[in-house]
Amino acid sequence: MVILAIETSCDETAASVTSERRVLGNAVYSQVLIHKKWGGVVPSLAKRAHEERIDFVIEEALRKFALTNKILAGPAATFPPASARKKLRAVGSPSSRVTHQNFINATTSYIDHIAVTYGPGLAIALEVGINKAKELAIRYNKKVIPVNHMEGHIYSCFTQNSRGNPKRPFRFPYLTLLVSGGHTELVLFKDHITYQILGETVDDAAGEALDKAAKMLGLGYPGGPVIERLSQEVKNKDFYLLPRPMIQSKDLNFSFSGLKTSLFYLLKKKGKEKARRHIRELASSFQEAVFDSIVKKTETAIRQTGINRIVVGGGVSANYNLRTRLRALTEKYRGSVIFPPYPYLCGDNAAMVGVAAYYRAKKGQFLKNLGRLDRVPRLRLGESK
Amino acid sequence: MIREASRVLKGGGLVVFPSDTVYGLLVDAKNVKAVEKLIALKGRPAGKAISVFVSDFKMLGEIVRIKKDTLATLDRLLPGPFTMVLTSKHTVSKLLESETGTLGVRIPNYDPVTKLVSSCHRPVTATSANISGRPPHYTIGSFLKEISMKKKKLIDLIVDAGKLPRNKPSTIIDLTLPTITVIRKGDITVKDAQTFVSHAPIQTKKIAQYLIQKILVNEPQKPIVFIIEGELGVGKTIFVKGIGEYFGIRNIISPTFVIYFEYQIQKKPIKQLVHVDLYRLEEAEEFKYLGLEKYLEKGNLLCFEWGEKVGPIFEMLKKKGEVVYVKIRYANEGSREIDILDVKQKLKAQNSPLRPSDFAGQAKRKTTT
Repeated sequence: MVILAIETSCDETAASVTSERRVLGNAVYSQVLIHKKWGGVVPSLAKRAHEERIDFVIEEALRKFALTNKILAGPAATFPPASARKKLRAVGSPSSRVTHQNFINATTSYIDHIAVTYGPGLAIALEVGINKAKELAIRYNKKVIPVNHMEGHIYSCFTQNSRGNPKRPFRFPYLTLLVSGGHTELVLFKDHITYQILGETVDDAAGEALDKAAKMLGLGYPGGPVIERLSQEVKNKDFYLLPRPMIQSKDLNFSFSGLKTSLFYLLKKKGKEKARRHIRELASSFQEAVFDSIVKKTETAIRQTGINRIVVGGGVSANYNLRTRLRALTEKYRGSVIFPPYPYLCGDNAAMVGVAAYYRAKKGQFLKNLGRLDRVPRLRLGESK
Repeated sequence: MIREASRVLKGGGLVVFPSDTVYGLLVDAKNVKAVEKLIALKGRPAGKAISVFVSDFKMLGEIVRIKKDTLATLDRLLPGPFTMVLTSKHTVSKLLESETGTLGVRIPNYDPVTKLVSSCHRPVTATSANISGRPPHYTIGSFLKEISMKKKKLIDLIVDAGKLPRNKPSTIIDLTLPTITVIRKGDITVKDAQTFVSHAPIQTKKIAQYLIQKILVNEPQKPIVFIIEGELGVGKTIFVKGIGEYFGIRNIISPTFVIYFEYQIQKKPIKQLVHVDLYRLEEAEEFKYLGLEKYLEKGNLLCFEWGEKVGPIFEMLKKKGEVVYVKIRYANEGSREIDILDVKQKLKAQNSPLRPSDFAGQAKRKTTT
């Protein structure tokens, strides 16, 4: 089953062609470089940029898909069937021989379904992807599979390259930790497409807290990687023992907004000059406070659920220190932890959406009425439209 | 229910009645005998003042002296969970006044009490239902448990509204002194007429709830727009969470990542809450793409975090909406000062309206640092 997946929930315009768990062609248009200049993400780009780039990104994913299939022509290949390969070769990549639109028409004939993220995310950004999915579905007569962005992040850990690596068989149930700029939640992943939120942030997301701390420290954007680097330089030690919000509470919710306040007062007490000299210590202490909360809450979840297999997704899961700490945690409970196998799968991407869509399709969860699909900016896992 | 309570009060009876804060003991404030009965029940030492409920500013003017500048303060804060101490005109029982001839008055933002008082056409005592010096009560049961059989006989009517939400007794503000002085701190404390003080997130939420309640009293015909300014970590999202909780929304989180969230509301007259965070906005042009204009219609409530950046759409907000400015500042560790300004004041304070150029200036500053 070949799926063309579209993801426009926030800043990345992404498209991907997947078959089951394999990624056959992937394209992401990220705006981080533009945003660096401004010290933050520029939301005007949301709608406009998505609209401007979505066609290009989809075409790029299809082009890579066409190329990948030649690579797959070896004996291990099960997809596409020989007849299809022949046809594809005839089509080739967009060249003078095949016109642009012909190429799209030809490649989409190998696509079975179209998947699209319909929430959570920025309303006007989600709309761009949904409208495009509807448009393609009508033009090429495909079924649409609506996908929750967060389940995409869960499936990012099980996403494979075009050769089907890594294997990673499913061993349900899992405890899932999703940490990104927009989300921080602990989810029980019981079976395919079956989730239960155990806890979530009541204010800021972990990645957002790190970005804002970076801003307060006068560091660049994106804040997470800068803080990670500075923290490494002082061996991720905690120097200032900032408070750990909600760590005492027995529930599995997170809160990070109070940390900003603590950092504010710490910076004020130190004064500008001293703060600049101790920037590494400050960055590391802040990151430790955030990660401590994440690790402790995950530990509480392990104890409460008795599940010691952890799946971690979202942009912050790229952080090496967090990975090390979560590995240590699961070792303590004789469990295991898996992260997205390739760096591009940590951030927002369409490949994970395609993989999640495959499991939805297997359950027959197709959109019945195109007109009925609307964006759901605050969509939660385990809740359908 | 109101009619029955009103009849008992007019006849000099004593009524236990719910309020916006705690259960209260109500008697006709002009009826000396009734007031004496009240004092006997409370075991209140003589000379200790007892405050009164009035229904509106007209009734307020009949029992206390109001100077021009105090009128402005009263107008800003009332109705609300405040007891205002003013100079008495001695038209209510003298037993209720303090030794210096002042009187505590309340206009609560609580329909049952204001309706009752206006149907009686007279001020009614507003003291909490408890024995003098003991904590107040949130249920009728706990109050009755505290008092003796003999005292129970002094009560003519009990209106049981179940368990009241745990709001503190009102904040008492003395307006007879040269500067506004807070005598007792309730849930909402003030520094002056437009500056509130919060010592905890829960207080910031209560201030937000008090404000939205106060705005709704006037039945606004335009969308309500809160523009909230303040540094990182000062409590802007907490403020909006407070507003959300007033409408029964408990899942508000920071919208920084996706710029805004919309929440559907079941509680009239508001249909939708739009929670916007301008933190990530850097260019005036970006507003065009957010499509916020479509939310500017009656029945909607818009909250803008990082209101500093609202410049480019300020004129539009002002024209189409009922705008309230909220400035939250770090005061000292653990406490915040919250300024509430309406548009006119904001303009006066700034000496010029916010213009798109303010916005450009801000962006410039950022790139040079």
